[in-house]
Amino acid sequence: MNHERIFGHISRDDFVGRDAELRQILSYSSDRTGRRLLIAAAPNSGGSEFLRQAYDELFFRRTQSVPFYFAFAPHPARLTDVAADAFRAFVQQYVAYRRVDPTLCRTPLSLHDSVELALPTDYEAINTLVESFERARVTGDETAFLKFCLAAPQKLSAMTKRMVLPLIDCLLFAGPPREDVLLTEIARTFIRGTEPAIVAALRRQIPTLSHAAGADLDDADVVNLDYLPDEDANKLFDSLARAGRVETNEQTRDLIVQQLRGSPFFLAAFAHAARSRHVGLTTFLDCQKVYIDELMGGRFHRHFSTLLNQIAPQAQTRRTLLRVLYESGLSETRKASVWTWKKRLGVEGADFERMIDALHVYELANSSGATVELNAQPSVWMDYLQAQYQLEVAGETRALTVANSLLSALKRAPQTMRRKYRREAAIGLKELLARFNCQEIPASLLHYNRFAAAHTGVDTDIVNAALDVEPEIVRLPQIVSAVDGSGIVTTVPTEEGRCAIGHGFDAGEYVDENEIVWIAAEIDSKLEASAELAAEWCERLERIAQEAKLHRFQLWLVSAEGFASKAVKVLKQHHAYSSSRRQIDLLSARLQTSTETPPLADEYEMVIPMGTDTELVAAHAVEQIARHIKFSPEAINQIKLALVEACINATEHSLSPDRKIYQRFRVEGDKLTVTVASRGIVPANLPVQNGNGKGDGKSRRGWGLKLIKTLMDEVEFERVDDGTQLRMTKYLRPRS
Amino acid sequence: MLCGAKTERSDRMDATRATSVQARCIGDTAIIYASDYLNKLTGERIERECKRQIEAGRHAVVINFRDTELVNSIGVSILMGVIDVVEQTRARLIFSDMNSETASLFEMLGLTKLVQIAKDETEALSSLSSSHAGS
Repeated sequence: MNHERIFGHISRDDFVGRDAELRQILSYSSDRTGRRLLIAAAPNSGGSEFLRQAYDELFFRRTQSVPFYFAFAPHPARLTDVAADAFRAFVQQYVAYRRVDPTLCRTPLSLHDSVELALPTDYEAINTLVESFERARVTGDETAFLKFCLAAPQKLSAMTKRMVLPLIDCLLFAGPPREDVLLTEIARTFIRGTEPAIVAALRRQIPTLSHAAGADLDDADVVNLDYLPDEDANKLFDSLARAGRVETNEQTRDLIVQQLRGSPFFLAAFAHAARSRHVGLTTFLDCQKVYIDELMGGRFHRHFSTLLNQIAPQAQTRRTLLRVLYESGLSETRKASVWTWKKRLGVEGADFERMIDALHVYELANSSGATVELNAQPSVWMDYLQAQYQLEVAGETRALTVANSLLSALKRAPQTMRRKYRREAAIGLKELLARFNCQEIPASLLHYNRFAAAHTGVDTDIVNAALDVEPEIVRLPQIVSAVDGSGIVTTVPTEEGRCAIGHGFDAGEYVDENEIVWIAAEIDSKLEASAELAAEWCERLERIAQEAKLHRFQLWLVSAEGFASKAVKVLKQHHAYSSSRRQIDLLSARLQTSTETPPLADEYEMVIPMGTDTELVAAHAVEQIARHIKFSPEAINQIKLALVEACINATEHSLSPDRKIYQRFRVEGDKLTVTVASRGIVPANLPVQNGNGKGDGKSRRGWGLKLIKTLMDEVEFERVDDGTQLRMTKYLRPRS
Repeated sequence: MLCGAKTERSDRMDATRATSVQARCIGDTAIIYASDYLNKLTGERIERECKRQIEAGRHAVVINFRDTELVNSIGVSILMGVIDVVEQTRARLIFSDMNSETASLFEMLGLTKLVQIAKDETEALSSLSSSHAGS
């Protein structure tokens, strides 16, 4: 659907990569739950344009609610002016929507014009509202007048019985102090109010808004707007370049997207700059010239200068801030204590807090309360900082600063692309760890020497068949948080995308003793990695563990061609797992994602109520299934009894709220897997307690799990989000 | 000779169970027939019947598992209670006619160390009479 634009700066077709988020807005407008909808945007991620596009879409779709878009300016002159602007915009947009005339939204109209243009059915209500507005204005009470204007959509909605959906853009309004009256009233009206509203703000500003509103964030739905992924950013830049008739090629486009980190704001500014200079972008030199021009005097420059002016309005403080920020970037961690920052900035009290808050909200620095860390991403921010430091603090000439910046940018360009290519070629350890989810794998996939001895030069099908019957199994942990290594420790050098840290539990129970952290790294070696390289990486990963104060951890090194025999000995000394690229491919193919269902599985599901003898119904069902796949009568009896015991366990231990037992019988190849689940709380020590029957005939109860383990070939007892799940497998061929 | 218990039994295992346990007496020995599914309910019926028979003066109890297809762990735990009860009264207890699955379950849970096992009812009665003769 391609309509004319109302507030959108680009056409809907050129607005790339936010389809899912826009759908969320449309669905909210038609199916409101009484909850607020917050748009939490990363800085420069195109949040304002997103909201404008959402307005246009709502307008043309003729949704049940009348949309109203208003962006609060960064430096409002007077409260009454902002309030009156918001009121006028609302009345004008209301009339435009009702008349189905989008041009009225953009036409300069006085309040009187808007009233005159109102549909006859709306005239009386709008006229009454405008009369109230005039009366509120002359009272001289600024805050009361602001409240009146902000609440106008709710008032008119009540008078006309027609819903209004305000889309409030606070993205440019991120810097005011927390106690700011306008901020507080916006938050109270649109976040705490009972009427539906969509509020967009910087993601780090959301807690402040929520605090100002005195509202709980749990009562709001949140749409997150991050930077565009490479593919969408490429499309956006292609479209911007096409629209501006700027010549580019794939290489330069990729460089620009990487350098600007997929930020829609920077990409649009860059394309605009190239268009206004009438230059093509077909070489890296072309690109970097435009880039440096932008940094020194274009939109990039204006953007960061405006922010710094807002954060430190006084010239001397701003210069000091520039110096402190730049010098922080030179240190290894880019981090210093709040006390150090305060001392170096020479600013005290509320002013200091406001400065640090603003740096944090705009993501120019990360403040944790105790420390402040300069944010090194995006690189455009660091480049701006360096150039401004040279100019304003070091006192270098503009020509020299431009030349140095250009040289740096050109030298960095191939590295930027190399990083992208290496990132794309990386295994994706972070994602792999996240898929572990307590699954079992053949142990040789984590021991390079064993794997190489058994499977080097063997066809993949044959290797897979051998892995299927490998007796030694490793149960992987459930990794609940997998992040890049640099996200946890910045003092130990690791490459983005090639080192991952996964926190989790090595059994289904979320208890202290099961906590485990996997530290994995993909190392570079064209041949089998040497002992020296393996040792260096083991020590590096152990340093990460030490710095991050990890108590229980497992090292895992991956090298494309595996590890030399001496390296294997080193790995053994460090208790590290080792895999080659081939092992990783085989491992990855074996790991199911949570939503995947393995092919060829024949599955039955059954729900029985907890109660006397209902387990027999399940036992009859599983008997039929087991008989169908030719299990022996003895094995069938064992499966039945195991299922009966599992049902008894579920009934006795789960404190189930729905009193139901959920069962799945999956026939897969030569095995039958039975899953028995129930909702409710399980005593933390159940797996220990249950199964401790000693078999000496003295203890009376607690045999269930022990029995199941004896009767079945594989048994896993795991806690799921709400309740427990027992998975047990019986093989057609008895396993040793 | 029947000794008071009802003789209802189902021909095959079913979720709807008989309300009483089948039993008969031969001399001072009570023979109690376990049902097809030995769980909490049917286990308790056996336990109650066993106590009743001992209170009525029987000196030996044979529990016959000829109809039993499935025994769950609660059923087993109740049988443990029955063993205790019989032991305390110095009466004799024999399990008979178990199928192979039930036998291996009892073996696995250690019951066979605590109670005498007989192949069938005849073997159980003959064992009781020979030990009685020898006493």
